[in-house]
Amino acid sequence: MSDYGGSDGGGDYDEPVEYDEALEEPMVEGEDDFAAVERAEVLPLGAGDDNDRPPGSTGPGPIPKDQRMTTPYMTKYEKARILGTRALQISMNAPVMVDLTGESDPLHIAMKELRERKIPLMIRRFLPDGSWEDWAVEELIPPE
Amino acid sequence: MKRPVLDTAPKVIKRIDFGILSSQDVKQLSVLELHQRDLYDVTRQNRPPARFGALDRRLGTADKAEPCETCGENVQDCVGHFGVIRLVLPVFHIGYFKLMITVLQNICKTCSKVMVDEQTRRLYLKRLRNPNLDGVRRKEILKNLNALCKKTARCPHCSSLNGMVKKVGALKIVHEKFKKKAKTEEEEVFRQSFEQAIKLDPALKSHISKAQEDLNPLTVIELFSAVSDEDCELMGLNPEHSRPELFIWNALPVPPVCIRPSVGQESSSTEDDITVLASEIVDINTKIRACMQDGTQTPLLMEYWDFLQLQCAMYVTSDLPGIPTHLQGNLPKIKKGFCQRLKGKHGRFRGNLSGKRVDFSGRTVISPDPNLRIDQVAVPERVCKILTYPERVTPYNIERLRKNIINGPDVLPGATYVTAQSNGMKRFLKYGNRRKIADELRVGDTVDRHLQDDDVVLFNRQPSLHKLSIMSHFVKVRPWRTFRFNECVCTPYNADFDGDEMNLHVPQTEEARAEAIELMGVKNNLVTPRNGEPLIAATQDFITASYLLSRKDVFYDRSQFAQICSYLGDSLLDIELPPPTIWKPFALWTGKQIFGVLLRPNKSSKIVVNLETKCRTFDKDQKDRNGTPFSKLRTLADQPFHSSMCPNDGYLFIHNSELMSGVIDKAIIGDGNKKSMFYVVLRDYGPVAAAECMNKIAKLSARWLANQGFSIGINDVQPGDRLRKEKEITVERGYSECDKTITLSREGKLPNQPGCNEEQTLESKLSGILSKIRDDVGQVCFQELNKYNAPLIMSLCGSKGMYMTRSSKINVSQMVACVGQQIISGNRIPNGFGDRSLPHFPKNSKTPPAKGFVRNSFYSGLSPTEFLFHAVSGREGLVDTAVKTAETGYMQRRLMKALEDLVCHYDLSVRDSSGGIIQFKYGDDGLDPPNIEGSEQPVEFTRNLMHSQAVRPTGSDPFLTKQQAMSIVASEIKKKDFRHVSGEFIKSLQSFLEAELTPPSPPPSAARDIAAHPIKSGITAAQLHHFLSTCKTKYARAVIQPGTAVGAVGGQSIGEPGTQMTLKTFHFAGVASMNVTLGVPRIKEIINASKNISTPIIDTRLIQAVGGYGAVQTRFAAEAASRVVKARIEKTLLEDVMEYIQEIITGEEVSLKIKIDLETIRKLQLEVNIHSIRDAIVRAPKLKISDVHIKVETADRLRVVVPRAKNDTVNPYILMQALKRALPKVVIKGLPTVARAVINDVEAEKRLNLLVEGYGLREVMGVDGKQTIIDEILYTMKSHGMTIDRRHVMLLADLMTFKGEVLGITRFGIAKMKDSVLMLASFEKTTDHLFEASFFSKHDKIQGVSECIIMGVPMTLGTGLFKLVQQTDQQPKKQMPLLFDSPDFHVPLK
Repeated sequence: MSDYGGSDGGGDYDEPVEYDEALEEPMVEGEDDFAAVERAEVLPLGAGDDNDRPPGSTGPGPIPKDQRMTTPYMTKYEKARILGTRALQISMNAPVMVDLTGESDPLHIAMKELRERKIPLMIRRFLPDGSWEDWAVEELIPPE
Repeated sequence: MKRPVLDTAPKVIKRIDFGILSSQDVKQLSVLELHQRDLYDVTRQNRPPARFGALDRRLGTADKAEPCETCGENVQDCVGHFGVIRLVLPVFHIGYFKLMITVLQNICKTCSKVMVDEQTRRLYLKRLRNPNLDGVRRKEILKNLNALCKKTARCPHCSSLNGMVKKVGALKIVHEKFKKKAKTEEEEVFRQSFEQAIKLDPALKSHISKAQEDLNPLTVIELFSAVSDEDCELMGLNPEHSRPELFIWNALPVPPVCIRPSVGQESSSTEDDITVLASEIVDINTKIRACMQDGTQTPLLMEYWDFLQLQCAMYVTSDLPGIPTHLQGNLPKIKKGFCQRLKGKHGRFRGNLSGKRVDFSGRTVISPDPNLRIDQVAVPERVCKILTYPERVTPYNIERLRKNIINGPDVLPGATYVTAQSNGMKRFLKYGNRRKIADELRVGDTVDRHLQDDDVVLFNRQPSLHKLSIMSHFVKVRPWRTFRFNECVCTPYNADFDGDEMNLHVPQTEEARAEAIELMGVKNNLVTPRNGEPLIAATQDFITASYLLSRKDVFYDRSQFAQICSYLGDSLLDIELPPPTIWKPFALWTGKQIFGVLLRPNKSSKIVVNLETKCRTFDKDQKDRNGTPFSKLRTLADQPFHSSMCPNDGYLFIHNSELMSGVIDKAIIGDGNKKSMFYVVLRDYGPVAAAECMNKIAKLSARWLANQGFSIGINDVQPGDRLRKEKEITVERGYSECDKTITLSREGKLPNQPGCNEEQTLESKLSGILSKIRDDVGQVCFQELNKYNAPLIMSLCGSKGMYMTRSSKINVSQMVACVGQQIISGNRIPNGFGDRSLPHFPKNSKTPPAKGFVRNSFYSGLSPTEFLFHAVSGREGLVDTAVKTAETGYMQRRLMKALEDLVCHYDLSVRDSSGGIIQFKYGDDGLDPPNIEGSEQPVEFTRNLMHSQAVRPTGSDPFLTKQQAMSIVASEIKKKDFRHVSGEFIKSLQSFLEAELTPPSPPPSAARDIAAHPIKSGITAAQLHHFLSTCKTKYARAVIQPGTAVGAVGGQSIGEPGTQMTLKTFHFAGVASMNVTLGVPRIKEIINASKNISTPIIDTRLIQAVGGYGAVQTRFAAEAASRVVKARIEKTLLEDVMEYIQEIITGEEVSLKIKIDLETIRKLQLEVNIHSIRDAIVRAPKLKISDVHIKVETADRLRVVVPRAKNDTVNPYILMQALKRALPKVVIKGLPTVARAVINDVEAEKRLNLLVEGYGLREVMGVDGKQTIIDEILYTMKSHGMTIDRRHVMLLADLMTFKGEVLGITRFGIAKMKDSVLMLASFEKTTDHLFEASFFSKHDKIQGVSECIIMGVPMTLGTGLFKLVQQTDQQPKKQMPLLFDSPDFHVPLK
């Protein structure tokens, strides 16, 4: 894993060619219009989100971090999907974010990463009106 | 695998549009036009397919040897190519026939305009153009329009005459323009057009008057082509895609050969039905063309045309009702049209699209293995060699996979294929140099390796009635040929080992594995979502062994105890021996201590269980030697004994994981009990700990019992002398009691029970006596058998055998003492032999043996008659199960189809796939049924408080006063982490604590007796904090998780218990004879929203002044008053109060004289007199007796004169006879819809109420449909001893009512709930929905579950409700703002 240069190689995950083949890969699923907003979260709050939406539109969009209202607990579905996605990434030789002690099953590595809150993913929770909240995995309280 | 031609860019299906191909489209799509009727060219060698025939090679190939002539590919790769048959004359398309008629009805048959005036037209257009219109309302509007047009006789635009358009025979449309009476000029003109014909054939003349306009396909095309685009829109059609004339066939597409392959034998071949039909159509088409060119007779042409029409209809669907008989004779027997390929269980929709055949699955017989963990499944080695998992090579697993590759496909753990990442080459490992392949293995390659230990698989047993029927297990590779798993997991699968087979599936991606184990893993499904009770728990032998081991008389010395402890694990468990219970004369441990070790093997274990509950054997009225019941016994200090002193040892007390008292039986480790030990472990320490406990119990029990031995023999069922005598006495006593009752009844001295006649009264009395006989015998049997009796032990601890009442064990008593009464459909054995059940008995005999009482036991053997009776009732059971499976299966399917797409969103609202809100908050409180611990609460307060007190020992901490405690609570709940806890929960928590703390804390010395005063002894601050934090975490865990498919879970929870209900069950609603339908039929009625239910009973509360007794009035007075009410409601017929009816015939008139029995009227308190009866007769419908025809002669006599018929054609005597039969049925008082009303005594409330049978009171009742659905389903389930969490039922009720009317879960109701074409097509009436969709150019947005499955798209619930976003440090590429794209320049359009 160190061959790949550790955790700074964020771009490594983003190879669409890789993912096409191995079933539908959720993270690249965000199409172009999403992709712009998706990373806007990293920007200072508020500013980026509104600018990316078509001006004057009243349609649903991202909800700022301080106005999020959904549960702070990670649901079992979120846990399952995060583990699955992360295990897939690891199985496809993504850099691992934790120290390994002999595990070779990607699912177990993913579980360990989740325990240590080191999974570099965010959950985009959609509300029924189409607006969404972004939650980083480390923000959520894992189940059990 | 055949791959359709695709663009290379991956695309997502967002929507499906339904529509129709025009003839042009069809011709463009096709590669050739068929005009050869022969299928094979017999003139050439080997009989190749004829060119331009239905099997032309250019249509693709179904033959391995020959390539396709169009694309040159072989059978594997050619997708096939369409052909076309160009029809000489157009024909109707049978699928659109009905819809087309509607269009014809709407338009004027002269000017092709929709027959509504301009104003209405605009109104309808406006309504149809509403963008928010849903399918149901749209249909409604179109229906109204159709009704309006049908009524219009003259077209408002061209004012020509229009009549009814209707279908004649199977495929003809006629326009009945001219009505019989009203003669019009147009008709005149029409009739005159026949003059020439009459001249040529005078025989026609008499038929001309019946002639109407024939709408043949040609005329219809003409009419349709003239319809304007706007009119199309008005009729719901989309003018761009589906103009009406497109729905008439001009050109017939012929599908590729590969979907209709011919099955060839040596010399002959069998063709697919479609092929045969296509060639027939070509043939008839050629004939018509010839006819038209030659100009032969019209009748022949018409016959050919009709035949073509018919053939084309058969091409679409083979089941055509009303095919003209003259055509049927020479038709080939067509079994399958296109519709038949789509329809039904094995059709394309349900058989291939909604459910598919899969790879990577296995099936074999199952067998038990208690040494496996509960989340494991033993997979035979030979299965492991076939099922593979494609593992991608990473640096961590490359060495392991190299070994796999070297082992090859025949040695475990091996591999079958390797796919290189570089070139995508897949290599089979059976041949070739595997070592070399292993050496060349690169990171990134994929190895299809054998199944190995700890792989994730899905395990399933049909019928898959609930989500627990398919769970994921970890693989354990084992020898031999069966799938094996821990017996604890039998219950969710409903499996036993009498030859059952189960299926196994291997998920093929990392994502699938992770989701399978996280969501479907056995450990994560220990409780059923139906009601939150544990479903995976110890069964059978495990319970027996635990029971035997935990009895009071079991002691072991050090070596034995250590041995038993070592059974618990696989020598990996760190066990600390507890101090022995008995020290002198030598150290002895009790069996109960084993369970202490089991729960908490060593001091480092965190599992500290505290539990206090009743065992199965607990009996507070257990009598001791002197006959004093246990509850009355007193200690020397005159205190009642604590329950744990129960003489049966029937009260379990576990303090900090130490078993203090009680035996371990089904109530403690079995399933279906929220007070069980496993459940407590599960709730307090999580599923892993609970599963671990179960693993230990399974190993302990199996190993201990193998040494101990437990068996059943004939001596176990031999009754002793005393038992035999006692039984004889009891039976004889019962028999004589029965005889007495029968005699009483025969003499007419038996008082009738309310609402029953003599016979019913006798029957209910007798069955009471007879069931008492069996109970009494059972009781004796229970007392007499010794405590080592194997069946008795099993019955007592609950591992096997039914448990009827507290002290009678039905199975044991049937074997040992007496089999008892045989029942068929709720009654004793009926008379099927002419007044008797069998010729062995006197006629009309009502004695117990004659009606199916079996006094023998299975041990003593049944007499011939008894044997027959037993078989009778045994067969009923078998028939019931057979019928029930089909019925509940269908019910379950409907429930699931209706509920499948309901999902709980992130705002906790429940919505369907199109966004319709079913519930604002799931179950009103947003809690998840499997996490409800107590009754309707996510926390069982009492036990948790006790637990908190036990785990935080009091020590030297001071007890809190009530004020202190409550202030801690108040400050605690204000903290941030209580933010998500609902107000109701906090309220119930506070009131619980309030009640517990009410008596001021007694001095600590009293704290010894914790059990009697568990809390009131006082609570320390540490304990209170622990308790509050437990409550908080448990509540947070119980909140429903967004994404849960609440609908599917609810549907399963309601449907699955249905299979366990015996089909026909009635029970008495308070009063005998007032039967209420229960069981599956009742559930069916409710969810179908039936208008007519089989036993409509209204429970009417009488007001206190009338029905109440005790304080207000005596019971007698209340009953008298109630009778008055009853008389006014219940339907009373004239015959009920009539003494006689007399025929009087005189010269002038014929009449009937009716004598009324005034005494009866008075007794019934009817409040009618001769005049009101007279009025009733006058009012009676259909009799048509006017006022003048009835005379009141005296106060009790009426005379009805038979009215004379108008023209005296009918004999007055016959009229009188008819009247004589009709008059007694006249309703003189009460509601005609109320058949019966019975006064019922609600003793608990000291009140009488009225049970009304019928619908009569609907007008005065306010009915809350939703609440009624909930209550009735819960009531039905409860009376079958089944509990369902009310949230599931609430959801169903909400779904049935959310559209504003009560919709049943039937094809009609579901069609109104959902809009999706694919979903409806995959449910029922597949083709109807598809035709309708294409006619009205509908869209399907692929939102629901069924649609997603059909299209192979991930659905938007569960793990699909949200999306994942990669966190990166990269700065996003920002889109450059356009120079002029500034908000200032945006001008709103409106």
